[in-house]
Amino acid sequence: MESLEQEIKELIITALALEDVTPTDIEPEAALFVEGLGLDSIDALELAMALEERYGVQIGDDPELNQRIFASVRNLADYVNEHRAH
Amino acid sequence: MRTARKVPAMSPARSDRLPIATLLEGDPDDRTPVAFDRRGLRTRGGLRRDVSALASVVERAGVGRWLLRVEDSYAAAVSLLSLARAGAVAVFPPNGRPETLRRVAQGCVGALWDAACRSDAEAAGIAHLGIDPLDPPDPGPPTTPARIDRERPLVEFRTSGTTGAGRVVSKALRHLEDEVLALEAKLGGPLREGTRIFATASHQHIYGLLFRVFWPLAARRAFQSETLLHASELIPRMAECEAAALVTTPVHLKRMAASDGLRPLRGICRAVFSSGGPLDAETAKSVAQQLGAAPVEVFGSTETGGIAVRRRDADGEFWVPLPGVAIRCPGDDGRLEVTSPYVSVGESLDDGRGRTLLGDRVAIGADGSFLLRGRADRVVKVGEKRLALPEMERLLELHPYVAEAALLVREQAGEGRVHAVVAPTPGGWEALRREGRRGFGAELTRHLSGSFDLVLLPRAWRSVQALPRDAQDKLTVAALDALFVEPAGAAGEASRPDAPGLRILDETREEDAFERRIEVTDRLPQLEGHFDGFPVVAGVVQLGWAVDAAAAWRGRRPRLAGLEALKFSQPLRPGRTLTLRIERAREGRSLRFRLHDGEDVFASGRLLLEEGDP
Repeated sequence: MESLEQEIKELIITALALEDVTPTDIEPEAALFVEGLGLDSIDALELAMALEERYGVQIGDDPELNQRIFASVRNLADYVNEHRAH
Repeated sequence: MRTARKVPAMSPARSDRLPIATLLEGDPDDRTPVAFDRRGLRTRGGLRRDVSALASVVERAGVGRWLLRVEDSYAAAVSLLSLARAGAVAVFPPNGRPETLRRVAQGCVGALWDAACRSDAEAAGIAHLGIDPLDPPDPGPPTTPARIDRERPLVEFRTSGTTGAGRVVSKALRHLEDEVLALEAKLGGPLREGTRIFATASHQHIYGLLFRVFWPLAARRAFQSETLLHASELIPRMAECEAAALVTTPVHLKRMAASDGLRPLRGICRAVFSSGGPLDAETAKSVAQQLGAAPVEVFGSTETGGIAVRRRDADGEFWVPLPGVAIRCPGDDGRLEVTSPYVSVGESLDDGRGRTLLGDRVAIGADGSFLLRGRADRVVKVGEKRLALPEMERLLELHPYVAEAALLVREQAGEGRVHAVVAPTPGGWEALRREGRRGFGAELTRHLSGSFDLVLLPRAWRSVQALPRDAQDKLTVAALDALFVEPAGAAGEASRPDAPGLRILDETREEDAFERRIEVTDRLPQLEGHFDGFPVVAGVVQLGWAVDAAAAWRGRRPRLAGLEALKFSQPLRPGRTLTLRIERAREGRSLRFRLHDGEDVFASGRLLLEEGDP
């Protein structure tokens, strides 16, 4: 699980071309959007695509569910772990 | 919508015979669909009841300006029609950021927002002002329906105006209604009866407001009231329809068209509309291959409404003006002037005769179609959000860390994003030293985030001692852009095997010298073993930085053949920001280097170099 979190951190940094951010800067439970890492709506689309591509998970448009899934690296890892296709 | 085609856009028709006003008349149990979402349908009868209830609340609370920020497009339709009936004006703030909402709310008698936007209002501390348009408090006895006046102002769009008065673009119902009737005449053909209008573009901006709300209302087509941004949700729902159309933006369309995602909509999706920024040719082509027709791209502005359209497969790069819109290029600067019936007279940009001079430069062809040639001003689009770069620069310069700021848009992860170059104040350099570039950028981002949409915030920061100016003392995009070409910081270090392990804040080249502004970070691999209780940077590492800078200057990696007059004057500790200067020495082929922070010198000497392989 920890290695999946690490993978997702790296995926976030490369897919979104974040500068000045290393995986160690991203706390597994810290907020990714707005406060915390400061990701925005374009990042959300890009990240959803990257996750779909890498893990075969489907990201839908349920705002409450997405808020939960995208809340932190830990939540993303949990979601990927449960739904991954490969 | 046959009647619409018979009504010429400019005709002074009686207001109650025009489609939007007549929509509100009739049976409150009419079950014809107006809008839909995943939960079900909204009907014409329901719309009449909802508008009647909200209009009477608005009338009692006071007609005047009402801040409108709802996520649901049906709620937007109810709000706008209720305000029209009450004779009030809807004010669209440029974004949902707390400071923006507070500022816009000041001039309003009330606010309308739904649950999705309520948290923005709470963050702004103005939640108590608001009414949920679909759940108004005690509507009381219905008021007599007033005749909707097409000539009264109905909506106002505000520019952000963070450091001055924001600009206001005002539209009467006439402007909106005439425009969508013209759209129907020009583009409505393929949208046969029963076509459902899906949308990812927000109705908070003119394009979405016209295409996903007013046009469907006027043409009696059901529109999607929620916004599904993920292809995996949206496409299957469109595929269930007999006929559908999509109102989208390049940011969304590009992602939906990836890996043949639109293919299931072939034969179903009658038209794809794209606006809010330039659509890349590749996406246009891919959509054409998947659906059989290229997207209808719409070029317009908040001030003018729609100006021109094109379909790449038919028109190539040329934009064809919409019916009723006249264009001209009156000045030497190539800026486009638009005379449009959809411009509200009295605009600040408008000369009072419906003419608007835009910041877009064009080349007009003999047949009246035109090519876009970039902007004459510094207004950019990110996502579908418009940003005047000078406005954000001025706000940045109000921060105590920033003496001067310059912004540009560069591509990052496939999207044009704002990048920032700042010349920090002494306090700013101090903060940069203390917090590192990430913390420094985060502080400035926080400063901007109260006023600008999040997608507009700078994605990368560079600090320089002075902004790069050319011989005419002008800032050039090329010089600013060059500061970002060599990725400094973490990402750059990882991608360069010979990385020096420090953060390069900026570089300047002179004829005989090269300077790097660098930051010694706390997590330097070179610090390992160099004293846990008192980390210092070893001299050999500092030498390595000097050789690396010499290589960057010369464009080839030299071999170090000797050292002269080498001096390490004081220990170099992590957290410092300093300057590494390399210059040609008078003594033969050697280069003089100096690692210093103002008067504080850490290391100096001469490098004897042999040129290596390029």
